[in-house]
Amino acid sequence: MKVPYHWLKEYVSFDSGPEELAEKFTMAGLEVESVEHVWDSIITARINHLEPVKGSSHLNATKIFTGNGRELSVVCGAPNIKEGDIVPLALPGAQFFNDAGETLTIQVTKKMGALSEGMLCSPRELGLSSDHEGIYILPADTPLGVSLADAVIHLDIKAHRGDLFSIVGIARETAALFGSQLRQPEIKLSEKGKTSIKKMAALTVDAEDICPRFTARVIRNIKMGKSPLWLAQRLALAGMRSINIIVDITNYVMLELGQPLHAFDYDKVANHHLIVRRAEPGETLCTLDGAMRELTPDMVLVCDEAGPLSVAGVMGGASSEISSETTQILLEAASWNPVNIRKTSTKLGLRSEASSRYEKGVDPELALQGLNRAAQLMAELADGEIVPGYLESYSQPAPNITIPFHASACEWLLGYSVTPEEAAAALRSLEFAVEQNSDDGSMLVTVPSWRGDVLESADLVEEIARELGYDRITGKYPTGDAPEPQTTSWFDIQYQFRRRLQQCGCAEIVTYPLTNQRSTLQLLTDESDIAQLLVGAIDELAPAENDKKAGGKAKQKKQSAKHISEMDEQTIPPLDPGALPAVRLVNAVSAKMDMLRITLMNAMLETISANLRYGNTSLRLFEIGRRYIALPNSAQRLPDERRTLCVGLTGYIENWAEPRREYDFFDMKAIIENIAEGLHVANLRFTQTQSPIFHPGRCALLEIEDGGAKETRYQTIGVMGEVHPIIAERFGVTQRTYLCEIDLTRLYLHNTSPRFQSISRFPALTRDIAVVADISVPAQAIADVIRSSGGDLTRSVTLFDIYTGDQIPNGKRSLAFTVEYQSQERNLSDSDGDFLREQATHELKKQLNAVVRE
Amino acid sequence: MLDLLRILKDRAVKALHSVETSAELAQWQNTYLGRQDGELTKILRGLKDVPATERKTIGQRANEIKNELEEQAELRKKTIEERELISALIAERIDVTLPARTLNSGYMHPISQTIYEICGIFQKLGFHIIEGPEVETDYYNFQALNIPQDHPARDMQDTFWVEPGQILLRTQTSPNQIRIMEQTKPPVRAVVPGKVYRNEATDATHEAMFHQIEGLAVDSSTTMRDLRGALEAFARELFGPHTKTRFRPSYFPFTEPSAEVDVTCNVCGGKGCRVCKFSGWVEIGGSGMVHPQVLRNVQYDPAIYRGYAFGVGVERIAMMRYGINEIRLFSQNDLRFLRQF
Ligand SMILES: [Zn+2]
Repeated sequence: MKVPYHWLKEYVSFDSGPEELAEKFTMAGLEVESVEHVWDSIITARINHLEPVKGSSHLNATKIFTGNGRELSVVCGAPNIKEGDIVPLALPGAQFFNDAGETLTIQVTKKMGALSEGMLCSPRELGLSSDHEGIYILPADTPLGVSLADAVIHLDIKAHRGDLFSIVGIARETAALFGSQLRQPEIKLSEKGKTSIKKMAALTVDAEDICPRFTARVIRNIKMGKSPLWLAQRLALAGMRSINIIVDITNYVMLELGQPLHAFDYDKVANHHLIVRRAEPGETLCTLDGAMRELTPDMVLVCDEAGPLSVAGVMGGASSEISSETTQILLEAASWNPVNIRKTSTKLGLRSEASSRYEKGVDPELALQGLNRAAQLMAELADGEIVPGYLESYSQPAPNITIPFHASACEWLLGYSVTPEEAAAALRSLEFAVEQNSDDGSMLVTVPSWRGDVLESADLVEEIARELGYDRITGKYPTGDAPEPQTTSWFDIQYQFRRRLQQCGCAEIVTYPLTNQRSTLQLLTDESDIAQLLVGAIDELAPAENDKKAGGKAKQKKQSAKHISEMDEQTIPPLDPGALPAVRLVNAVSAKMDMLRITLMNAMLETISANLRYGNTSLRLFEIGRRYIALPNSAQRLPDERRTLCVGLTGYIENWAEPRREYDFFDMKAIIENIAEGLHVANLRFTQTQSPIFHPGRCALLEIEDGGAKETRYQTIGVMGEVHPIIAERFGVTQRTYLCEIDLTRLYLHNTSPRFQSISRFPALTRDIAVVADISVPAQAIADVIRSSGGDLTRSVTLFDIYTGDQIPNGKRSLAFTVEYQSQERNLSDSDGDFLREQATHELKKQLNAVVRE
Repeated sequence: MLDLLRILKDRAVKALHSVETSAELAQWQNTYLGRQDGELTKILRGLKDVPATERKTIGQRANEIKNELEEQAELRKKTIEERELISALIAERIDVTLPARTLNSGYMHPISQTIYEICGIFQKLGFHIIEGPEVETDYYNFQALNIPQDHPARDMQDTFWVEPGQILLRTQTSPNQIRIMEQTKPPVRAVVPGKVYRNEATDATHEAMFHQIEGLAVDSSTTMRDLRGALEAFARELFGPHTKTRFRPSYFPFTEPSAEVDVTCNVCGGKGCRVCKFSGWVEIGGSGMVHPQVLRNVQYDPAIYRGYAFGVGVERIAMMRYGINEIRLFSQNDLRFLRQF
């Protein structure tokens, strides 16, 4: 909403400049976007003398008088000026925008040798109309030396205050702010002739639910033409172009009072009968902007007996448009249902000054006032004759709302006390009617018809608080009852995870949870592997029993996908929208972001890829976020939002002091074990597995022993591994990269508090054990056997060497462990050591067919 | 004989003074005190030719001199060893300006850091920290917050729909006001951090996904002055003790009265700069007293209970705090950016 400063001043007296006024508005809750100064350095001046510039076919050298001081020399090329004309003169320093949007600053120049100390302005240069034919000639009685400078305050009015979309509405607020009086424009109506409107026109409203009020007048014998300067100037400042006097008046009254109007050419309305009704199926209308609109029965139209004339409250039709031949006007001022107008305008993709006001609600009480104001101006400015009487349909005038109110409500919400007198005065200044009961301080407040947003006591408190100034709400240290202290929240738990990961040298990333199916499926080679994206999160889909199947498939693919260069989009699984248990958007901004993620891994790979492009070659990244798993067969309508951790690792450890080393699987494992250690999770194990996402030989399931169960059971909490080179390549990653995804809820389930174990007074006994076993026997299994073979006495089992080659048979490897034994009760002797070593040897042979080397 | 001993002692002491290394010291010891050819030994060997009466005196004196010399040699040895250690250490000198060994330091995302700091401030004021679903129902995101179907406020928040009119991506953290009040009886104090989504074109200051922190406090005595006090404490802690806070009237369907919250620009200290559009103030969020209709929607009696709600934008605050001018940096996750926090 653009509020021209001088126009506003016509309705209310105050003595603040534009900036100060804007500050007042801001603090009263009217959001000021900017204060724009226009037409600075443009003043009215008279052409005292005019003669052609020597050597030019069209330039004139003029002597211009501004009311005092010396005459100025201005060269002008316009053909329409003569001596004695009063014109707008732009002095040096004045600024204009040319058609290209560039700023031009007027300077003292010489044109063909003639001095020019300014510029005479055309209506277009002033932004008044598109007329660029000549200089704007002002009326002969215009005083000289008057500055045209004005300021426009741009306000962002919120939708609930439809009453502020008018200069008078703003003036009403301004009056309250300054303790001043609102001066409504005076409406003086002189109807002419004896024929009543009833004999000239008719009105039928068949959609009263959408059209609470409709009023119309007829104005005859109007003289079409241009608007006077002041009118065009005000429209321009408020952001509208001058078109012709009749259209300008309807726009002017809309800006002034907030009541949109529509002027039909009386002679083009069939039988002069206006009918308000819903559109019939298949009806069309060519609107003023020249577009053919298809109408639907939920839209309301203003029609004549022949068909649609306008889309009610949105835009008029071309057939009944005002033209230069128009002499009689059928003028409409109505009020419409805001929701209906909003829907219609959205459906047609058509927003007009009128529709944007109707959407916010136009007070039905305003209709007749607006109608009369426009009729008056048509009589005054276009010589129109107002036909006696008006047509009206006003089915059920809404009664004004009355709210019982007590000033103590202010203290209840604001925290400071307001006297009944203060409260009443504040409300009255905004034209609320207040009936005070002096006995108990209560009052009965009647809400003005234009304040549909005020419904109850709290709304009145806000009005009073605005009037008294929000500065009176001083801060105090929050007291009042607090709830019981919170026990550990997920917020805190996640903080611990973030800190741990940070300590592990990882940088946190935050990616968009919005992704797309293609990016997600890039992680897979076969659609039936979708469960692989949900490892650790959902058991029903989890691949525990599919391990073999997935493994088999991975082998096949290994053969079929030998050449990465052959990779193309075809090898990415085909789209089947139902296949992914994902939440999809029906109105996505882009196809790249049309579903919520079900895994964090694709975004991690995309982030790694982007960072490699940025030149960041070594990365330790993590993200903690949710994945959103739609449960199609569940009664729950909202998806399962699973807290998930994803870690990504790629690149090198590089340092002048050590040889450069590539990150590997065990760097990733270290991070995971560190996190588990932070939670004192016991019995986390890594099980060799296969997944299409990962290197067939370098992938592990993360499993934790389920404490509650009788027999040992493991719960899968996630998966980790080296990303399959083919998958990595799809994301533009060509170096070895490691990913891990863990369901944090499941991991946290297994957290424990540390239990103290007494530290033995007796020295530990150390034995080295080298075990030769089948290469397929996991190191963990060997360590487990050694540990359990020593019973309570085993303190630690530490691998220190792996060896294959000479002396070790093919298909086998040697693993060397340092085992530490310790007793709480006694010194262990060498013979104890020999016995324990023997035990280990025996169990290794029995359980794993492994041999201990002497 | 005694003279010989005296001369020997003087010579030995003098020689000891010029001994500089462990090797020289050994040499000296050999020369004067050596068992075989040491000068003192040689003199003592001549003792047999001395008359018996003098032998005892001379023998005593010789022993004294031997002890004295050994003592002095010990002292000398300490000095020499110390000196030698020092020069050995000097030889081990390193260039302390060489880069450190790699101890990977990690980084928390500036958004996480800002969320933790803000929530931490409210935690100290007795607020619970709660998280809610990002995929929400129309009821919680709109209707219960006094934004019925066809309310123009819905236009201000372009919504991503999962099921049109039913299921959506939350446009604000405010639905948690309803969820919290439905689940608990007053007194309530909670902050809710989280992601929110708007179906909007993105630019330097707008993202389709960003983070908000919602605050809610309801009991039988909390007023707008408590709200302001809480936000002032928050602003001072986050932006420094001299930060001032300003309330401006505003409109939110679920608060009445409503206030926009501005803080003094911490770039220019309130004098006016580009960041604050030369106003000296920067808006950090919206707030107000919980609308009586919202209280009624969760079966709280507005005649008994009252309280406030507020919402702040995390990205906006992080941008202010760290002087970041481009919101998209947060989701780009360029290590060169992440490393700075
Ligand atoms: Zn500033």
